[in-house]
Amino acid sequence: MQILDLKQNYFELFGLDITFDIDLKLLSSAQQRLQAVYHPDRFVNASERDKRLSVQQASWINEAFETLSKPVKRARYMLELNGLELNDESETTSDTAFLMEQIAIREEIEECRSNADPLSCCNHIIERLRSKTDQFESEFVSHFEQGQLADARVSSRKMQFIQRIMDQLLDLQIELEES
Amino acid sequence: MALLQISEPGQSTAPHQHRYSAGIDLGTTNSLVATVRSGNADTLADINGESLLPSIVHYGPEQILVGKLAQEMQLADPLNCIASVKRLMGRGIEDVKQLGDVMPYTFRADQKSKVPRIQTVAGDISAIEVSAEILKTLALQAEQSLGDQLAGVVITVPAYFDDAQRQATRDAAKLANLDVFRLLNEPTAAAVAYGLDQKHDGIIAVYDLGGGTFDISLLRMNKGVFEVLATGGDSSLGGDDMDHAIGEWILAQANFDSIDTQLTRQVLLAARAAKEKLTKQGTAQITIQNGAQHWQGKIDRAQFDALILPLVKKTLMPCRRVLRDANLSKQDISEVVMVGGSTRVALVNKMVSEFFQRDLMSELDPDRVVAIGAAIQADVLAGNKPDSEMLLLDVLPLSLGIETMGGLSEKIISRNTPIPVTRAQEFTTYKDGQTSMSIHVVQGERELISDCRSLARFELRGFPPMTAGAARIKVSYQVDADGLMSVRAEEIKSGVAADIVVKPSYGLTDSEIETMLRESMDYAREDISARMLKEQQVEAKRVVEAIDAALASDGDSLLSKAEIRKIKQARNKLQKEIQSASADKLKKSIRTLEKISETYVARRMNSSVKQALAGKQINQVKI
Repeated sequence: MQILDLKQNYFELFGLDITFDIDLKLLSSAQQRLQAVYHPDRFVNASERDKRLSVQQASWINEAFETLSKPVKRARYMLELNGLELNDESETTSDTAFLMEQIAIREEIEECRSNADPLSCCNHIIERLRSKTDQFESEFVSHFEQGQLADARVSSRKMQFIQRIMDQLLDLQIELEES
Repeated sequence: MALLQISEPGQSTAPHQHRYSAGIDLGTTNSLVATVRSGNADTLADINGESLLPSIVHYGPEQILVGKLAQEMQLADPLNCIASVKRLMGRGIEDVKQLGDVMPYTFRADQKSKVPRIQTVAGDISAIEVSAEILKTLALQAEQSLGDQLAGVVITVPAYFDDAQRQATRDAAKLANLDVFRLLNEPTAAAVAYGLDQKHDGIIAVYDLGGGTFDISLLRMNKGVFEVLATGGDSSLGGDDMDHAIGEWILAQANFDSIDTQLTRQVLLAARAAKEKLTKQGTAQITIQNGAQHWQGKIDRAQFDALILPLVKKTLMPCRRVLRDANLSKQDISEVVMVGGSTRVALVNKMVSEFFQRDLMSELDPDRVVAIGAAIQADVLAGNKPDSEMLLLDVLPLSLGIETMGGLSEKIISRNTPIPVTRAQEFTTYKDGQTSMSIHVVQGERELISDCRSLARFELRGFPPMTAGAARIKVSYQVDADGLMSVRAEEIKSGVAADIVVKPSYGLTDSEIETMLRESMDYAREDISARMLKEQQVEAKRVVEAIDAALASDGDSLLSKAEIRKIKQARNKLQKEIQSASADKLKKSIRTLEKISETYVARRMNSSVKQALAGKQINQVKI
């Protein structure tokens, strides 16, 4: 069986330029092309060794795909490729204004529950967070392109914060739609 | 005797030879088997022309009945008639209790493996063994109609099945001696059945409401590639729950003096019949006989809809969730495919159609579509279609996590991640000098460990003592293409490692499976040896009779007294052994008698030739 070059980075694997604004359609079709070769379904009747290799390689392709298809993960991966070691535990943001804003949004979400129209309250915050996401993403791109990696890292961190709140909000949205 | 054909070594299987394979839909209510023959996928029927095998097994004192035959025993012997066993796959005794009165059986939990077992007259039986009986019946049905052995099968499972439920299904196949190419998610199978013609490229939603499970999956179909974008559902929600809702209504209306298992069973059967009638007509008559008490009533569509409305509503929440997970809106969905017998219920169609704001697709028989899709994949995996571009890319249905301090679940692989997938995470020690670490793997979306499903616990032991926080324990998870997980833990500094293939907390242990397999093989071996003995007994009798006849006709003229005595000795020995000896011993004695009689046989031939030639000219003899 063919063996993948595990030294290439995820962008190279899918034949993409190392940039934040990738074409998700190209990513998806490249992923399918690779899985067509390496997926375990292609090795059902193969030797145990080839079966194992297939699982490993298909896993690696999937991991690469996941990383590049999610904006937050993609940004962080780009920083890692540039030698920044990212560790979730030790990372905090020292941007007090940003932190205060986070707390304010969380409080707003809690208040939504007791709002007369909780669903539209919730949808309203979701819209606001979407524009925040756009804002931090373009910040990340411009910092990264100018080689200001430390600043790019701060932006990626903010993207991650927003993403977490967004996940909670979307859960709440489903809960509210149900009731 | 027929000769066995043996081909030249290395040429036994020609490279392009067709390998028979089948797709099996192991359902809560009914199971089916399908296969691809001359390019067409279709379900296979049994000798009575039935392709739907009721997923019911009856355990009697003498024999095991599967399917219709078992179904017929349901009223007379409900406690030994095991139905809807899919709901118990990979489940523990606590889960079974939560099912409430859905299951009329008496359960016993095994101390060692925690697998709940159902008490029957044939002993305590686990869900895995019941499923294995159903699989065996289907495989036999397939082999009989194909006229050849199956090289392998694809078995479908609800997309929402967790690791324990998948493992239990694999174990059942192992017990049934089937080679499983792949476990395939039911909605993906349905999409394959629909998507072959490639008329439906785009994003489709598969709404699958079966007897006991509900699944909703979103797939992107593009030129033979089926990519699951998100999947969700409820692994204990289905048509059975509708039967129960009606059943409870009947019991409330009838107000019987006493309720026993047989009555419950009768009411449930009547409820199901009423439900099925209501898919075609406005009202359904119900008659229940409870001893001397008799109840007759009528249920109409509106009443029925009111009873099942909460259940149908319960299916819409996962629909919202998958849309969100895939980051799609209802408008992005180009088709909605309806699968599973319960989608015949009018209210289900109405509400799903309203939810997705479009017409639904149900051209293919919702009962067969899953088995047909599975057969198509089995055919590809068997290697019969080397040029096929078909590829199924699936996802992990439920997040995998690990227990951290405070009873919280730390997610390692989140739901809807494409599989296969491998991921690793590092942990450290909590105390100074700690030399072991206990690892608890869970599956589910909730924060608290107690709200998730416990999959496995294991320990990494014997790494050198270090100060708290200095050890680096790397835990790697691998989920294969069947959605089954294995875990490896390693202390990086010392290299101490522990590998485990996750045996679900509620699964059978390896040794249990081994014992069951050995027992079933022992039975098979007993069957073979019984047959061989019978054959040798018949052969021995034939030889004894032939010798007796020969001795009577010409023994005295062709043999000396000593020769006769020798032959008779061997003949008597064999005669005595016919009723008592083993097949091997009989075979030996037969050969001994034949050997001793060799000269006698030769002389008889010569004498008969002489007699035949006596008085004839040599040129008259035909050679």
